[in-house]
Amino acid sequence: MPGGGGMATFLGFRRADGQVGVRNHLLVLSAGGLTGQTARRVGAALAGAVVVVLPHGSGLVGRDLAVQRRAIAGLATHPNVGACVLLGDNPAVMAQAAADIAPGRRPYECLTLDDCGHDGLALTDRAVRAGARLLRQISRERRSAEPVSALGIGLECGRSDPSSGLVANPLLGLAADWLIDEGGWAVLGETLEWLGAEHLLAGRARTPEAAAAIEGAVLERERIAVAAGLDLLGSNPGPTNIAAGLSTIEEKSLGSIAKSGSRPIEGLLEYGETPRHPGLWTMDASAYAPESLTGFVVSGAQLLLFTTGVGNPYVSALSPTIKLSANPDTCRTLADQLDFDASSVFSGRESLAEAGEALCRRVVAVASGEATWGEITREGDEVLSRFGQAL
Amino acid sequence: MSGGADAIRLSPEDNVATVLRPVSAGEDIQVRCGVEVTTLAAADAIPMCHKISLLPIKEGHMVIKYGQSIGEVRAAVGPGRHVHVHNLRSARARAAP
Repeated sequence: MPGGGGMATFLGFRRADGQVGVRNHLLVLSAGGLTGQTARRVGAALAGAVVVVLPHGSGLVGRDLAVQRRAIAGLATHPNVGACVLLGDNPAVMAQAAADIAPGRRPYECLTLDDCGHDGLALTDRAVRAGARLLRQISRERRSAEPVSALGIGLECGRSDPSSGLVANPLLGLAADWLIDEGGWAVLGETLEWLGAEHLLAGRARTPEAAAAIEGAVLERERIAVAAGLDLLGSNPGPTNIAAGLSTIEEKSLGSIAKSGSRPIEGLLEYGETPRHPGLWTMDASAYAPESLTGFVVSGAQLLLFTTGVGNPYVSALSPTIKLSANPDTCRTLADQLDFDASSVFSGRESLAEAGEALCRRVVAVASGEATWGEITREGDEVLSRFGQAL
Repeated sequence: MSGGADAIRLSPEDNVATVLRPVSAGEDIQVRCGVEVTTLAAADAIPMCHKISLLPIKEGHMVIKYGQSIGEVRAAVGPGRHVHVHNLRSARARAAP
């Protein structure tokens, strides 16, 4: 452990259900598109509120419906959420959501258009007042020393270049190994970016079932690409990756999976699914960062580590996202986007192990309240994946 | 990482290295693999972070980086050449013949 000796701790918000948050957000969550603008008005009226709009709703079926339900409950009771104002347009969906949220024992208020004469302005008024009361209530909560074993982190890369695979992603691997050894959990997503390296992930799976699930998920993504007549060159790696020196999906994947470190893989999670126990997990999800990060957040990850080669401003709204790069040019030009500069490893002034320890210390600092650039500049958003058509 | 070298070969099985700075055609560069450093003449100009071939690679043979295949070359490549999308292609996710 960086700092050495004894159980590593951070300062977090312990919740009534035993989860530990690294932030104490009031979440204004719209469970559909009809109340999206109301949610944005409510958020603008309340200091520090985080707004998430799930733009779809009525007519979702099958996997989309299941993911929507998981997302509403997972976001409203996320460890980083102190309280939630949930807005919607369907009383039945809201009743289901309230039942799903209740076990989280987090303060919340559910309001629908039906409660307010189908008037968005009346709903705005009630929601602002409800949110104000909740904000006052959660402002009384204090941080306490908590074991880092309470943490879950999502591992992401975006707009990668070869410095990502050489330095930045292996650094995330060191942080993931450290957290898992401390008793926490980490999750690797972006299924398509295992293609060409899936045998290495499967070889680390705890069970034959987990190995088969990982290889099956990759083959399914490959099948989708082939069925669409898509040449991956130009889409993944994309034009930005190619200009930076990545030539094939195999090369990108071999660099990408370095984020997962070296510990055994417990299993394959569905999109937004919560790990059943600590350790390293994989999540079958889109490789597009907005969808991928929200999958990690819905699963309960309180922190995200996000490497980039040439730069990528995107972060989560709910989970502080530590951005890092090892590309010396990027670290120089995007100093107020990148929270961690790993270019010293690239240029040989520092060892990977030294930078890994510094990154673990930064994880503890951000978990304890140090703001990331993305939080300061309000870059955060949440984007839920869609899988099929709505009715 | 660089330890003063101009390029890094991540695994002894690799037939390409990644250059850590822009390289000019005709330049001799130092390639590090672990503690071992060798000299290679660059035949092409190569942008930073792009790949340089270390050995002759025959048409259809695999390009190896991280000790793993990252695709196959479309035409024979001599040592010191820029290896990228113009002469390397994925062996995966190809449309059915």
